[in-house]
Order: sequence, then structure tokens, then C-alpha cells
Amino acid sequence: MESSPLALISLVLTIAVYYGCKWLYRRHRRIWFAPILLAPLILGAIVLLAGIPYPVYNADARWLVWLLGPTTIAFAVPIYDQRDIIRRNPLTLTIGVIAGVVLGIGSSYLLSRLFQLPDEVTHSLLSRSVSTPFAVVATDAFGGSRELTSLFVVVTGVFGMAIGETVMRLLPLRSRMARGAMFGAASHGAGTAKAREIGDEEGVVASLTMTMAGIAMVLISPLLGAWL
Amino acid sequence: MATSRAASLLRLLAQLLLIFAIWFATDWFARAVHSPIPGSVIGLGAVLALLMSGLMPADTIRRGAEWLLAEMLLFFIPPCIAVVQFGTLFKAEGLPLIAVIGLGTLIVMAGTALVVDVVFRWEHRRRIRAKSRRRELAGVL
Repeated sequence: MESSPLALISLVLTIAVYYGCKWLYRRHRRIWFAPILLAPLILGAIVLLAGIPYPVYNADARWLVWLLGPTTIAFAVPIYDQRDIIRRNPLTLTIGVIAGVVLGIGSSYLLSRLFQLPDEVTHSLLSRSVSTPFAVVATDAFGGSRELTSLFVVVTGVFGMAIGETVMRLLPLRSRMARGAMFGAASHGAGTAKAREIGDEEGVVASLTMTMAGIAMVLISPLLGAWL
Repeated sequence: MATSRAASLLRLLAQLLLIFAIWFATDWFARAVHSPIPGSVIGLGAVLALLMSGLMPADTIRRGAEWLLAEMLLFFIPPCIAVVQFGTLFKAEGLPLIAVIGLGTLIVMAGTALVVDVVFRWEHRRRIRAKSRRRELAGVL
């Protein structure tokens, strides 16, 4: 796609709306101001109302998506920082990650079948519980669409933020690790941000679980993809 | 003040370039050997190995990595906007989709939390027992 002034404007607009939403959320910590919810909504509305065709919008904006590759590498730093927790509770973390990934793929697959969703949608849903850089790579192997998966990941994140604390109160959880792991495994970055508000240990465990679940999802996706 | 801000910005840029370079290298490698594991995850593993072994101090890439992780949401807004193309899909399957994601998230949350709670208690008890056994042993000696 040839780059056009409209494409450049779209890129600048995307960055401006994103930082605008971030600024707003810093001042008002309400879920409907969360950038993960508000920024795509505002931009989607603009693109739709202005009638900007998606290929034009994406001509320059795709450079932002390119940054997801390097961001995956950046996850090495938080894992390294939290190596003490890995050494102390290797089994808890490993089993938490396995449970999260198996439940994530399994629940998406079975519920999609139950509601009779089309195959492309089902395959795009499988990796929705992990962080976007990992989810879009895994969805390639599952035969899903990167765009649909990105959206499902976002909706999952918002959902996890919204219901997380209620789930936490309803379950008889005794350990901080369980409270952290459920946010990281079920709703990746958005959930991890919420876990950080609840407590330091919850935040660290959520972040580790999220990263390790992302890696696990990418590693098993070629095996599972071949079988699908 | 202004110079220190410029220096800090330059450092961030240099660290970002280093991470991009690692990404290019591992992505090229993954393509060259037809690796089923994508280059970005190989890069993650390689950097983690360098950090753990002490060959690369974490401060070499910390600022760059933390910036990328903090702004990650910006990088996946564009594919979300692509859904304006899928208008008909959401008209037809919008509600079931929300149900699948909502129920699915609930299942992953509750299931993971309960499993981790049980395993953690077991692992915690085992560690405490191992510690007290070591202490007993030390007492005997």
C-alpha cells in the first residue's frame, strides 16, 4: 500500500489518542477511562466516521505493530528481575502457567463450538488469554487472523480487569500467589496492571505468569496447530 | 537539566536500537533455519540467558525494555481498528463472541486461581518441612 498523507495523519492520530487516554486515566482511574478500552473505541469511531479505509489507516500505523516483535524480547528483563520468585516457587508457577494455557485454549475451543462460531473465529480465539505479542504469533500457527486475535485479546483484558476482584472475593483463596496468577493467566497485561493495584507480590506473580503463559502458548501452538 | 534529559533520551534510543538489532538477528536466524519457534521468542530466550549468566548487565537494556513494555498497548491498537472491516461478523456473532470471551475468562481465572492455591500450599509446606529437617540435622551434628 502506497503511503499517503491520510496514512501519516492516521499514525499521528493513533499516537495522540493513545497518549491522551493515558493522561486521562492517570487523572481518573475508572475502568471506562482505561486506555485499553477507550483508545481503540475512540480511534475506531474516528476511522469509521471519517470513512478511512483500513488499508490506508494501516499503511503507516503498521510500524507500531512491528514493535511487538522487539517488545517480546523486552520481556526478558522482568523475568530476570523476578528470578527469585521462580527459584522459590518453581512448581507453583509452572503448574499455574500450564493450567492457565490449557484452560485458555480449552475454554475458547469448547465454548466456540458450543456457540457454533465459524472456524476462523474459533481459531482466532484460542490464544486470546495471553499478551498480544505472543498471541498474534500463536494465532498464525492456529490458522487464526491476527486482527481478530488482537481484538479478542483486548476484550479479554478489559473483561479480566472488570471481573477480577469479584472472582477474587468469591473464591476461598489463601495465597497471594493464586491471586496474582489468576490475573496474569486470564487477562495478561490489563489484569497484571490490576494485580499491581492489589499488592506488590500479586503484581509480580501476575507479570511472571503472563509472560510464561505467553511463551508456553507460542511453543505449543505449532504442535496444536498441526492437529487443528 | 536539559542536557541530562537529552542524555537520558539518547540512552533510551540506544537501548531501543540494541533491542531492535537483537530482534533483527534472531528473526533472520529463525527464518534461515525454518524454526517453528519464532525469532522474537528465541531472542527473549537469548537475552534471558545473557542476563542470567551475567554476560550482559540488565542495565544495558533495562530502560529500553521497560519503555517497550509500558507502551505496548500503542503497538496493538492498529490491528484492533481492523475490526471495522469485520462489521458483518460482529452483527451476526457479536453476542456469542462476548459470551465465549466472558465465560472463558471466568473459567481461566477461577481455574488457575484454585489450582495455584492448592499447589502453592503444598510447595510451601514442603519447603518448610525441608528447612526444619535441615535444622534438626544440624542440631544432631
